[in-house]
Amino acid sequence: MIADYFRIAFRSLAKRRLRTYLTMIGIFIGIAAVVSLIGLGQGLRIAITSQFGFLGTDILSVQAAGVNLGPPGSGAVNPLTSDLVDKIEKINGVDMAFARYIDTGTMEFNDEQVIGYFGSVPEGDRRKAFEEMSNLKAEQGRLLRDDDRKGVVLGNDFSKDDIFGRGVSSGDEITINDMEFKVVGIIERKGSFTIDQVVLMNEQTMFDFIETDVDEVDVIAVKVKDEKQIDDVQEKIEELLRKERDVDIGEEDFEVQSPQAILESLDSTLFAVQLFITIIALISLLVGGIGIMNTMYTAVLERTKEIGIMKAIGARNSTIFTLFFIESGFLGMVGGGIGIALGLIFAYGLAAIGRLALGSELIQANVSGGLIFGALMFSFVLGTVFGVLPAYRASKLNPVDSLREAK
Amino acid sequence: MAIIKLDEIKYSLKNLRNRKLRSGLSILSILIGITAIFALVSFGLGIQYYMDTIAAEAGADKLYIQPKGVGVPGLDENFYLTQNDIDFVARINGVKDIKGMYFKSAELRFKDEVTYYFVIGMDTDELEFFMEGFNIDIEKGRDLKKGDLNKVVLGYNYLLEKRIFDKPLKVGDKVELNGKDFEVVGFYSEVGNPGDDAQMYLTLEAFEELHPEYVGQFGYVMLSAEKGVDPTELADKITEKLRKHRGEEEGKETFFVQSFEDIIETFGIIINVLNGVLVLIALISLIVASVNIMNTMYTAVLERTKEIGIMKAVGARNENILFIFMFESGVLGLVGGIIGVLLGYVVASIGGMVAAQAGYSLLQPAFPWYLIIGCILFAFVVGAGSGLLPAVRASKQKPVDALRYE
Repeated sequence: MIADYFRIAFRSLAKRRLRTYLTMIGIFIGIAAVVSLIGLGQGLRIAITSQFGFLGTDILSVQAAGVNLGPPGSGAVNPLTSDLVDKIEKINGVDMAFARYIDTGTMEFNDEQVIGYFGSVPEGDRRKAFEEMSNLKAEQGRLLRDDDRKGVVLGNDFSKDDIFGRGVSSGDEITINDMEFKVVGIIERKGSFTIDQVVLMNEQTMFDFIETDVDEVDVIAVKVKDEKQIDDVQEKIEELLRKERDVDIGEEDFEVQSPQAILESLDSTLFAVQLFITIIALISLLVGGIGIMNTMYTAVLERTKEIGIMKAIGARNSTIFTLFFIESGFLGMVGGGIGIALGLIFAYGLAAIGRLALGSELIQANVSGGLIFGALMFSFVLGTVFGVLPAYRASKLNPVDSLREAK
Repeated sequence: MAIIKLDEIKYSLKNLRNRKLRSGLSILSILIGITAIFALVSFGLGIQYYMDTIAAEAGADKLYIQPKGVGVPGLDENFYLTQNDIDFVARINGVKDIKGMYFKSAELRFKDEVTYYFVIGMDTDELEFFMEGFNIDIEKGRDLKKGDLNKVVLGYNYLLEKRIFDKPLKVGDKVELNGKDFEVVGFYSEVGNPGDDAQMYLTLEAFEELHPEYVGQFGYVMLSAEKGVDPTELADKITEKLRKHRGEEEGKETFFVQSFEDIIETFGIIINVLNGVLVLIALISLIVASVNIMNTMYTAVLERTKEIGIMKAVGARNENILFIFMFESGVLGLVGGIIGVLLGYVVASIGGMVAAQAGYSLLQPAFPWYLIIGCILFAFVVGAGSGLLPAVRASKQKPVDALRYE
């Protein structure tokens, strides 16, 4: 019985081939646009969010409040003081806390100059924790040691020719603020500008040569003992800082955040942009749906006589409805299937071209199985939704009238 | 000939009316796309106009010198311009006026609320210069005066409820800026973006008293060119001379000079590219609509095969038939275009209101006549174009075959 429905539906679609194709083209253009845009957007979101260094679930960062548009700490109004580090470390539940200093200056190599940013590496036993937290590994040379007084470790971007016209290798000499430093190592590529473009130095090197102020800490990184208690620890740190800096609840001039929370807020912004673009692309699907509706109304009109005959020999309203419903659903789904295939080609093709042309790793496509399945279901639903009214009209036709009406 | 044309037009319109539902759906599909494109382009043009007005009113004679650095220019404490640099540039031929500005992030407290934004410290002589440069005015209270020490003028958004602070501030309110007491003496008018409208302004002296550690470290220098001097050439000249003055080698400058035109241009390019991408995406829906119209027209040709045969039998030429069908689809496009523009106008106006509510009053749509005509014409062309193939098929039918067709 059901097989019959499908057979009849396919036969009618096959009979008016041109119209069927045109209707499906309408759907697949829309689906291809939506799939490729969502795929590219998803790829971009993943690429951006993976730009973040620290990603442990047991880490908190403490910063002074300010206008955070540059490197951490650069817009702080009332910077954190270094005595806070020890006080935070004494809080119950805190495993380790250390200060991070961030500073900027000029860098020269191969007779080219750029402005770079320097990040401190804590010394002693906190060094290992920092390296683990940021998942640092040397690609060339080695990471810093306590006795590296004028040694630096560079982010991976410096090993490429783009920055200085020639890649820096470990063992090279580099000029920072008009002083010679030795590059002891290059960090493995992270795909993240915060690490790939950093210049890491020992804390003491920064105090001695970059004139970084020991008392003005840019970020305090806190590792908690048990990640389940991270919220508790966060509250305790906030309480301590309120007391130390003499501010009331709601007037904090500092922020304690988990990297996870920062990431989530960034991701929701990106999501909003993606949503807006998707909505504009969805417009074309709506138009495709209207095309289905149009085709189906025409089909009902043309087959008035056929419907009359079917009803005369005993077809029920529901039978007629199902027939037309299947037809429109099929239009949607096949259009959707072709659209998904085209969308995949577009998304990965554009990403490949974009990467070649712009050399940016941010351009990548990510089409998940969920997206494919969702798009397929969506196109089927689209076909059926826009087919409901025509099918309903067909099912409600009066057999006598429809037999007479037809020429 | 003219009479025949009139008949053809009447005949086309009658046919469209006869299949109201189908015509309606075809029109609907094209008007959706036109609505989206019209609304998007009107925003793009609105921003373009805003920038043109600013460029025209502020005069293209302004130049800016900013230190390089990481993050926001002027905020990186390791890179700045000194009074000595400013005095040096002032002596360069072609420079009319020059003023240094301080630019730092600050904490503003009012009662038990606190916010963080930029504070700008500037010479009172440069106020007019500055307001011209940003195309703003005093909204309430008064401007800063020479010698104002504990007085602050705030951006427009501090006047609004629940924008920055829950309660709006007013002239005479006492606030705390970086821990020091200040009196609010005035507010600037709206710039139209949340950043600039949240700024705080002090006199140079007040800033230096608040931050003695930054005295002589300017984050921003604004200058104007003498009449008849090309700002871009002047920018190059300043770059070269200041580089030598600061003892920096070519390509290793720690500052950059930009003309107002450059800034506007960069901003304009970004906006246009973003808008262009959105319009391209919206264009996809017009392609789909054109496929729909094509579909409708093929069906119409099929249904009227016999009619076409009769018309041809009584003397209609191929071009008459071609005209009839192309005109039909063109009308579908035209009507869709007109309704689409109307709807687009409504959508864009609502969008503009929403943007203004959110603090982006510079995001306002513009509806020049050429956009309106252009969109309607475009819709007509899309309609007629989509009808071309079906119309050709109709016109090529042999009258004998067409008459025989059931």
